[in-house]
Amino acid sequence: MLNILVCCANGAGTSLMMKMTTEKVIKSLGLKVGKLHHCSLSEGKSAASQFDVVFCPLNFISMFKDAEKKGTTVIGLKNVMSQAEMEEKLKESGVPLD
Amino acid sequence: MLREFVEMNHYLFAREAKDWEEAILMSCKSLEADGTVGSNYGQDIVECVRKYGPYIVIMPNVAMPHSQEGAVGVNKTAIGFMKLEKPVSFDPEDPEKDARLFFTLASCNPEQHLNNMMRLSEMLMNEELVTELLEAKGPDDLLKLQEKYLDGKNE
Repeated sequence: MLNILVCCANGAGTSLMMKMTTEKVIKSLGLKVGKLHHCSLSEGKSAASQFDVVFCPLNFISMFKDAEKKGTTVIGLKNVMSQAEMEEKLKESGVPLD
Repeated sequence: MLREFVEMNHYLFAREAKDWEEAILMSCKSLEADGTVGSNYGQDIVECVRKYGPYIVIMPNVAMPHSQEGAVGVNKTAIGFMKLEKPVSFDPEDPEKDARLFFTLASCNPEQHLNNMMRLSEMLMNEELVTELLEAKGPDDLLKLQEKYLDGKNE
């Protein structure tokens, strides 16, 4: 069971788009997901360590160093609309997907 | 959604913008014209991008200017469309951050906004549609694409 956070600067635009891409990926890979939450960077920075995976635009990954140390997998996306990129990076990350 | 842009007059076709700041301000014009957003909104978005970087370029060729939900000076929930003939650069070191299509978000009603975002997401995931949108010359082309790809899909 994966808990996933999607995060962008304000939590209302880009993160929502990422959330929809994530929903497609969940369906296509048949992932079992507990929580799928979207939010702003300021909320996400403190909440991230409670999630297994964080998706954010590539330029924000450095904001999640603390969560990464605590074991959260942080995945930066170049194209937040690309289901292919998200699937590939999720598989590469080594997060257990079943 | 493309028909809405035409019916609401929320669109602009332009040749070029001198830089990304001007492009963002231009992309807000159609939303300003009917009071959907106040005249401060464009500048607010520019400040956001200066602060956080060009994350609003969500995929190659496509920018989605926005600030935050419930932003000051946003009076209605809508999306404004702009197409530039000449791409504008958001990051001189990354040509994948060049944009020609702009979908500018205005949100004060979360439910309506979510519905808009779902329709926008479906539209942008259709590669053929995006390719044809990059060739659109005016509102008639938006209506043609609406009929070809979106009608009958509740979009």
